[in-house]
Amino acid sequence: MTNPTPPRVSEDDYLRCIRCGQCLAVCPTYRLTLNETDSPRARVALLRAVREGLLERPTDRTAAQFFRCLLCGACAFTCPSGVTVDRVLELTRGEMADLGLLPQPLAALNARIRESHNISAEPPESRLLWAQNLPAPPTGVGKAQAEVVYFVGCVGALFPRSYGIPQSFVQILERAGVDYALLGAEEWCCGYPLAINGDLEGAREMMRHNLEAVRSLGARTLVTTCPSCFHFWKHAYPAALEEDLGLEVRHAVEFLADLLESGQIPLRDDLPEQTVTYHDPCDLGRKSGVFDAPRRILRAIPGVTLVEMAENQGGSHCCGGGGNLESMDPALSQAVAARRIRQAAETGAQVVVSACQQCERTLFNAARAERLRLRVKDIAEILLEAMRR
Amino acid sequence: MSERAWIDRLQEVLGPSKVLTSVEDRIAYSYDGTFAQQLPDVAVLPESTEEVAAVVRIAAEYRVPVVPRGMASGLAAASVPFSGGIALSLTRMNRILELDEVNRTVRVEAGVITADLQAYVEARGLFYPPDPSSNKHSTIGGNIACNAGGPRCLKYGVTGDYVMGLTVVLPDGRVLQTGGKAIKNVVGYDLTSLFVGSEGTLGVITEALLKLIAKPGYVRTALAEFPSLDDASRTVNAILAAGVVPATLELMDETAIACIEEAMRLGLPLDVEAMLIIETDGSDEEAVRREMEVVERVCRENGARKVTVARDEKERAQLWRARRSVSPSLARKAPNKLGEDITVPRSAIPEAIRRIKEISARHGLPIVVFGHAGDGNLHPNILFDKRDPAQWEKVEVMAGEIFGVALDLGGTLSGEHGVGVLKRPYVERALGPVSIDVQRRIKEALDPLNIMNPGKVLP
Ligand SMILES: Cc1cc2nc3c(=O)[nH]c(=O)nc-3n(C[C@H](O)[C@H](O)[C@H](O)COP(=O)(O)OP(=O)(O)OC[C@H]3O[C@@H](n4cnc5c(N)ncnc54)[C@H](O)[C@@H]3O)c2cc1C
Ligand code: SF4
Ligand code: SF4
Repeated sequence: MTNPTPPRVSEDDYLRCIRCGQCLAVCPTYRLTLNETDSPRARVALLRAVREGLLERPTDRTAAQFFRCLLCGACAFTCPSGVTVDRVLELTRGEMADLGLLPQPLAALNARIRESHNISAEPPESRLLWAQNLPAPPTGVGKAQAEVVYFVGCVGALFPRSYGIPQSFVQILERAGVDYALLGAEEWCCGYPLAINGDLEGAREMMRHNLEAVRSLGARTLVTTCPSCFHFWKHAYPAALEEDLGLEVRHAVEFLADLLESGQIPLRDDLPEQTVTYHDPCDLGRKSGVFDAPRRILRAIPGVTLVEMAENQGGSHCCGGGGNLESMDPALSQAVAARRIRQAAETGAQVVVSACQQCERTLFNAARAERLRLRVKDIAEILLEAMRR
Repeated sequence: MSERAWIDRLQEVLGPSKVLTSVEDRIAYSYDGTFAQQLPDVAVLPESTEEVAAVVRIAAEYRVPVVPRGMASGLAAASVPFSGGIALSLTRMNRILELDEVNRTVRVEAGVITADLQAYVEARGLFYPPDPSSNKHSTIGGNIACNAGGPRCLKYGVTGDYVMGLTVVLPDGRVLQTGGKAIKNVVGYDLTSLFVGSEGTLGVITEALLKLIAKPGYVRTALAEFPSLDDASRTVNAILAAGVVPATLELMDETAIACIEEAMRLGLPLDVEAMLIIETDGSDEEAVRREMEVVERVCRENGARKVTVARDEKERAQLWRARRSVSPSLARKAPNKLGEDITVPRSAIPEAIRRIKEISARHGLPIVVFGHAGDGNLHPNILFDKRDPAQWEKVEVMAGEIFGVALDLGGTLSGEHGVGVLKRPYVERALGPVSIDVQRRIKEALDPLNIMNPGKVLP
């Protein structure tokens, strides 16, 4: 099978940048360091300098600027000139990797994924450890056929502190009577980390395997709780594999909103009053356009008053967990998270809800580090608590 | 002595994290909001007036150019370091130092982002009116150095009208304080004004004392659609003649409208030649409403097809987001643009626009016109493709002709973007020999070594 040549940044992509500077106002890394080098405008200028020969030989230092970025897309969203900055930067990472300039922690991550098919080099059986201490074993395990496949994603499946998300989600599915299956050991990394770190071929291998596994169950719908898996399945899979998946790819918030609105998730009426704010994950909101479903769910929960942060929806501020910045520069990633959690605190909310295991984790840690009395929950968790038994 | 000795000195004094020397960093500090580019030898990020003074002293000792830089949103290449040297970024000096609610002043460091200052004072019922469209991505220091204006200047004046005092590091490293909180002050020359609009050529502004006013409680914003551009430009004068001073009076021509619509899909009309955005404000709701009624009537009498008043803050915000996006969204129409910033006496706006459109027709390259029509400040933007040398040649001729229009009609080269290097060739004609001579002597007196943003402004 011949693979399509990897897409490259075109001249037009960077010449479009007129250097107006509007993206500086929204870039989380620039807003923290106040150093132009960490701005979207400078990253585009750097790429252009490499292409046009102003910078003759890119080095590790050059590459680092493309990897010290959250790929959060705030820049592209605000750019009046139509520069798709985050996409351009993603492709540039690939070009840097081709030149042998992939930063070491990311090269190690890629190797791990290629070998073990997950991000933390766990044995495949570990993918179902989260299901062990549920009240009853999930019916989705070991099914030969199902309407819906729940793609758990590496973090939810393998990081004990994120187990609560798949646990809550499957309990809702069970109680709502959804016919679903889990891939278990046959679930591999979706391929996203490989793709943004310059290993498109490795990503394709993951994609082919996962698509095969899902198809063999005869499923029509794929649902994820991870916005990155969702975004990647929905947009990158068909493009990279050059075929129609024959699947409807949905994020849990869309799926749950439908279940809720068709009456399959009855809610308790004895719930306490609580003020909640919703954090839009970049891959779900800005990059996939899903803003409404999570807000419909939260508004439907009795007792919940939903308040918005100053920066919300398309203009949302990244949680700090994007683009593998954590592996490149943990301190910067934490500072981004701290800024976001303070924005949440400013709303006066008691609870921050997100719809992403990564956001949940970074925001939880930030709330602790900033000593804020804010609870951080995933939307599946708050919905399960509100569901009538 | 090695060529890099001065860089070592900078690193000794400031510490390596504030003195950036990698080529990646130097590229990041090589441009502003134009297409000009030149790498500095280093980028320096000081965090206090003392650090700025230390940098300038080293620069003076070694005769190295210093180019002050805010957020590099400038449109005159004024912060591009054409002679290399030090790109001195004030962005990390971003503290709000003192809000004095009784005297209604605020003291800030030069690197504060204008919109951040505005949000800070507005949360306390106060108002800092100057509103360059770039307020979210430009600094107070840059605004002062360019004497930035914006839509609200018609009623409230420009940045310089709000500067009461400055702290400036002079080209020899001494620290100058000007002005103060007293409203009346005639002791000595007005040095504050000397630095307003000086484009970084006389010294580095490190702190500013700014005047605030009470926040107007009521605002109404309208969008008027004109099938004829000529009618729209006549309406500007008609509104003012009717005794209303709107807070803003902005004009956009059809190409500008088309570009924003393509970028933002707001449902703007694509079959009109021009639109005006008009805002009235004040502390008396009834008066604000009545003024808007007059505006609506005058617009209709002068050929407006439709006048829509924003119903809520969200609609209003959207109108302004549209207005702010005009200039950048032009990139969708052509790879390059040359944005001018001429001013003419208000009465000459219709004539100026007619002549500009004529220049465009004659040379066969589109010119988009928009701007702060209320104060006679227009931004004609020539759209072109720089890769075609024939087009670039035409552009240079056209720019000269546009300046000619401004000067012939009694106006000038720049209302707010400043001279930088891009307009330098035309300064002599605009100012005349006596003024140039006086300005040169001022520059020489303050900066005899010519290290402070050399090669800018004066011919
Ligand atoms: C999309 C867009 C819209 C714009 N809209 C407007 C508008 O409506 N009105 C308007 O007036 N301008 C506008 N501008 C132009 C520009 O934003 C202003 O000139 C702004 O004041 C520049 O501020 P800055 O911090 O970006 O300064 P820079 O661009 O970094 O510097 C500009 C000049 O000021 C000098 N300078 C900067 N800081 C200091 C300092 N601390 N001390 C001494 N000198 C200093 C520099 O040396 C340079 O000469 C716009 C630009 C863009 C890209
Ligand atoms: S907003 Fe767009 S055009 Fe402006 S500097 Fe950023 S990337 Fe370039
Ligand atoms: S993707 Fe996010 S972090 Fe990266 S340059 Fe754009 S705004 Fe900055």
